[in-house]
Amino acid sequence: MFDQIGFPLLITLKIAGLSTLIVAITGMLISYILARREFHGKWLADIIVTLPLVLPPTVTGYLLVVLLGKKGILGSILYNLTGWTIVFTWQAAVIAAFVVSLPLMVKTTTAAIEAVDREYEYAAFTLGRKELDTALFITLPLAKKGILAGIVLSFARAVGEFGATLMFAGNIPGRTNTMSISIYSAFQSGNNDLANMLVIILILMSLLSMAITAKIINNWKI
Amino acid sequence: MGIKVDFRKRYFKKKSDKRKGKDPVFVLDAQFEAGNELVVLFGRSGCGKTTTLQCISGLLKPNGGKIIVNDTTYFNCHTDINLSVQERGLGYVFQNYALFPHMDVKRNIAYGLNGWPEEDMDKRVEEMLDLLHIKGLEENYPSQLSGGQKQRVALARALAPKPDILLLDEPFSALDMVVRMKLRDKIKEIQRELGIPVIFITHNHVEAFTIADRIIIFHNGRVQQNGTPEEVFYHPENKHVAELVGVNNIFENANILQENDAGETLILQSGKLRVVVNKSCLKETDRTSWGIRPENIRIFPADSNEVSVKDENTFEANVKSIVNKGSSKIIAFELQDHRNLLTAEIWNQFFENTDFDIGNSFLVKMPREKIVLF
Repeated sequence: MFDQIGFPLLITLKIAGLSTLIVAITGMLISYILARREFHGKWLADIIVTLPLVLPPTVTGYLLVVLLGKKGILGSILYNLTGWTIVFTWQAAVIAAFVVSLPLMVKTTTAAIEAVDREYEYAAFTLGRKELDTALFITLPLAKKGILAGIVLSFARAVGEFGATLMFAGNIPGRTNTMSISIYSAFQSGNNDLANMLVIILILMSLLSMAITAKIINNWKI
Repeated sequence: MGIKVDFRKRYFKKKSDKRKGKDPVFVLDAQFEAGNELVVLFGRSGCGKTTTLQCISGLLKPNGGKIIVNDTTYFNCHTDINLSVQERGLGYVFQNYALFPHMDVKRNIAYGLNGWPEEDMDKRVEEMLDLLHIKGLEENYPSQLSGGQKQRVALARALAPKPDILLLDEPFSALDMVVRMKLRDKIKEIQRELGIPVIFITHNHVEAFTIADRIIIFHNGRVQQNGTPEEVFYHPENKHVAELVGVNNIFENANILQENDAGETLILQSGKLRVVVNKSCLKETDRTSWGIRPENIRIFPADSNEVSVKDENTFEANVKSIVNKGSSKIIAFELQDHRNLLTAEIWNQFFENTDFDIGNSFLVKMPREKIVLF
């Protein structure tokens, strides 16, 4: 029972939770830079970040293997140094989830930061506060609704991640069989009772996260 | 002490135009000096007032020149000095207040007191609440405040860190008349008490006149005149200043007729209109422009026995339009022989029984001493 339901649930929460945490932090940093800074090649940075949103997940997964696999461009260096490869580990699933959900975070958060009136930031500067301070205590708090939306979307995307994870982390029982992948396996092997159970759990999880988000946003005045 | 500003800021239509060496679409050439007094930057929208303020504050970087406040160089292109906004130690009040919506009044005011010991910080916030009469609002959020209260909080926030200079960008434009007048007095009082330069932007000439120790008039990116309110309002340097300060009747490039050379007066001719003016006001010798403020035009009934058309600067005129402002009326007259238009402002209390219907004729007089030359 634990192997069939408990483990997929826990590994999914672990992968999605960790990936969302990293997505939230890097996403805010990238979004702030995209929204508030002008630099050469900004359009290119924007494209690279957005690309996984439009690429088929299997392509993203394939590219990750090419880049980080045992014989991959970066993966081979890692393998030669440590004898370890990330492919077919839960860490690989985190990376896959991170790559596919980052664009959702960046798109929503960039829009939210751009919508913050720059005058608030200027006011903070004239009050002697540096840019980092201003970003942390003025800009990001004022963009928090968009940021939360980005985090929720990224988490949902990470939980539902299938294609890139299957390519890059595989479907190894007891290691990388997440909820989405377990549903597919159960369905494939004709175990409809298990598939139904997993599906119901995922639906309940989604409803719960939406309810919590709505509750939080309702309590925010600004 | 005081403030010394002499810088240029160029604006291009596109960024690439600057590299290609094309002409800028707008050039701000800000050049003025003022003491530790209440300085009003006055001009129409788009004349460069706000840009000037943003360059002084460091939110914008000028293309060249220097900015010195209280002997501290904020910006000097020759020595590569450009203090950051944070280093300039200034108070800035924005047109829309820019109060942080996610912080209550107390935290807004204390935001600039970063690094102060908590005890001093609380004391300073209390002082500011007292100074601006906003005690009791500490726990409120900006969305719970009226416009006037917001502006008081914005002032308190700007003054709390003891700035060396206070900059106000059209601070009262969204407030009603009563609140406006109270806050004007408050700002004057604060300036006297602190003795720092206060730079105040407005496009309202009544506001400029009532609040300023010194008025700096901008037009099209250039300083046109720098003087006391009296100098600027009664002795405008040029047509732009005259228009801005409310000299609504302007006659450009009048011929100077020297025939009445005997005394202190001379005659100016604009088209068919001839007026007598004081010679002492004349600046250039061949041509001049002249004007008169609407409230300085005097009006008499057509059959008056006090004045007649033979008197100096007195003309027959018909009413063309009337705008009643409540305590006064703005009346446009057409001079009968000259077809020129004159705008007069008269106080209703003195003309209670006079019938200013369109087409009625009157005698209008432009008193010689009220005519300004520029």
